[in-house]
Amino acid sequence: MTRTKWIGLFLGIAGFLLPLLLSFPGLTTAGHIAMGIFLLAAVFWMFEVIPIYSTSLLVIFLQVTLLSREGFLSHGSDYSPAPYTDFISTLADPIIILFLGGFVLADAAVKYNFDKNMTRILLRPFGSDPKYIILGLMSVTAILSAFMSNTATTAMMITVLIPILARTDINDPARIGMALSIPFAANIGGVATPIGTPPNAVVIAALNQQGLNVEFGSWMVYAAPLAIIMLLFAWYLLLKLHPPAASKIELDMKGSWMKSKKAITLYVVFAVTVLLWITETLHGIRSAIVALLPVVVLTLTSTFEKEDIRKLPWEVLWLIAGGISLGLSMQQTGLADWVVDGISWEAMPYLVLISVFALVALVLSNFLSNTVTASLMIPLGISLATSGVVGGPASVMMIGLVIALSTSFAMVLPISTPPNAIAVSTGVVKTKDMIVSGSIIGITAIILVIIMTAFYWPFLL
Amino acid sequence: MKPEIVILVVEDEPEVLDAIVRDINEFEDFFDVEMADTAEEAEEIINGLPDREQQIGLILCDHVLPGKNGVDLLIEMQENELTRNTRKVLITGQAGLDETVKAVNKADLKHYIAKPWDPNELSDITRKLLTDYVIDHIKNPLPYMQILDAERLADHMRQHGTITDS
Repeated sequence: MTRTKWIGLFLGIAGFLLPLLLSFPGLTTAGHIAMGIFLLAAVFWMFEVIPIYSTSLLVIFLQVTLLSREGFLSHGSDYSPAPYTDFISTLADPIIILFLGGFVLADAAVKYNFDKNMTRILLRPFGSDPKYIILGLMSVTAILSAFMSNTATTAMMITVLIPILARTDINDPARIGMALSIPFAANIGGVATPIGTPPNAVVIAALNQQGLNVEFGSWMVYAAPLAIIMLLFAWYLLLKLHPPAASKIELDMKGSWMKSKKAITLYVVFAVTVLLWITETLHGIRSAIVALLPVVVLTLTSTFEKEDIRKLPWEVLWLIAGGISLGLSMQQTGLADWVVDGISWEAMPYLVLISVFALVALVLSNFLSNTVTASLMIPLGISLATSGVVGGPASVMMIGLVIALSTSFAMVLPISTPPNAIAVSTGVVKTKDMIVSGSIIGITAIILVIIMTAFYWPFLL
Repeated sequence: MKPEIVILVVEDEPEVLDAIVRDINEFEDFFDVEMADTAEEAEEIINGLPDREQQIGLILCDHVLPGKNGVDLLIEMQENELTRNTRKVLITGQAGLDETVKAVNKADLKHYIAKPWDPNELSDITRKLLTDYVIDHIKNPLPYMQILDAERLADHMRQHGTITDS
C-alpha cells in the first residue's frame, strides 16, 4: 500500500469512529452511525484506499449490519430501521436495470462492430476539411457516448483517430485539437441521456426516492440542449486554440456491416430500444422496463452469450448502487436534514446556492470519480430542496440536474475522467493543453447551467 | 518508476549487441533493456526476476553463443513459469533449419530475423510483439499507448472494457 492509502485508511476509520464518540445535539443515534458511514465512504472514495466499487459495497454492508431492522444494533424510538432489503435492493434499482440494458446493448454493439460502422457512416458527410473533421469526430463521439459508456466510446474513437493522426503533419496543431476533441465530446455527450454516464443514475435514483419520476425523454429535453451548446462551444474553442494548418485530411475508413442473423438482430434491437426510450413520454412504458428488451432478446437469440455477460462492467453497477444506498440512510436517519438545518441557508440567495453546488460539484469531480461526487452531494442537495429552504418539487429536480450536469463537465486533468486519461496516454496531447481548454469548458458549462436554472428549467418543470 | 517490462537482448559480439540496442533505443524510456552476452548470464537475469518485480516481455536472442546456444535458452525459457509468456525472437545468421524448427516447435518462437537485419524491421517487430504482450498480460495498457501500437491497444480496451466509466 502506498503512503496516501495508509493515510486514507487511518482517516477513514477515524471518520467512522468520530461520530460514535461524539454526541451531536438534535441528531439521532442512527444519524451518528449514518454520519460515520458517510465519512468513511467519502474518505475511502477520495483516497481510493480500496477500489471505489468496493467502498460502495462496504457502504451497503455497513448499512445492513448497523442500520437495518435485521442488523446487529437495536435502535431507540427515534429511528425505525428500514428492512435490510431496502439497502440490498439498490443493486437492482430500476436505474441499475436501465444501465444493465444499456451495457448489454453497448457491449453487443462492440461485439458486432456496430459502433465502428456507425462511426464510419456518420463521419462521411463531414468531408475532408480538418475543421469539419473535428466537428464530425465530436458529434459522433457525443451521440455514441449518450448511449454507451464515455470510456468505451473514447477507446473506440481513438482507434479511428490514430490513422487520421498518421496522415496529419507532426507539427500541425490540429493533432492536439483532434485528440482533445474526443474525450471532451465523450464527457459532454454523457449528460444528454439518463444512461449516458453513471452520475446521472445516482441523481435519478435519488429523485425517484422523492417520488419524482424522470422520463428518458424529459431528461433529454432538460440536458441535451446543454450538451449541444457545449459541444459547439468546445469545437469553436479547440479551433481557436489549436487552428488546423492543413487544409485537407483524407479520411479513409474501411469496414463493412456484418450481415449474420445475430448481427441483424442486434441492429434491430438497438434501434427499437433507443426509439422506445426516447419516446417514453408518448407510450408511457418506463425506460427501465424497456431496458429489459435488449437483455431478453439478445440473450434468448444467443446474440449475447454467457461469455459476453461475464464481461459486462458489473463493478460500475455496484459503484452506482452504493451511491444510491448511501443517500438512503442519510435521508432515513435524518442526517441529511440535520446537516442542512445546521447551516443558515437563508442568508444565501437561491442562485448563489445553486452556483455553490455547481462549482463544488465541478471542482470535486475534477479530482474524484464523477459518480462518487454525485453520490456525496445529492443527499445534501435533496435535503436542502425538501427542507423548505428552496422549496417545491421543481427545486428538487433542479438541484439534481445541477449536480449531475456539473460533475460531468469536469475535464481539466487526465485524472478527471477515464476518457481524458486515454487521450493523454496517446502522447499527442500535453496535460497543459488539457488544463487550458478543460478549465474554459468547465467554467462555461457552469455558467450555462446557472442560466438554465433561472431561465430554462423553470418553464419545463 | 522502474519499468514493469524488460526487453532482454542476448548476443556475444559487442558490436552486434550495440547495434541491436541502438535500433531499439526508442523503447528505452518505457522498457528496461537488459543485455547479456551468454545464455548463462541471461539465466541469471531471469532468476533475479521475482526480486525485481519485473517481467521479460521480449527476448531478442542470438543463436551461436559461447556455452549454451540461443535455441536451448529459448526452450528453457518456455519451460520456465516466469518466462513462458515472453515473446521470443531469434536474431541470427547461423541457425540451421533443424535448429530453427526446434525453436518454433519447442519454444514458441514468434519471429526469425536474419543477420544483417533492417533496423526498421527490428523496431516494427519489437513494437508488434510488445503490443501483443501488453494486451495479453498487462492490466493497464495506458502507459504504453505512446510507444506501442496505440490503435490495437485502444481496440483492446474497447472490446474488453479494460477501463470503465467512473
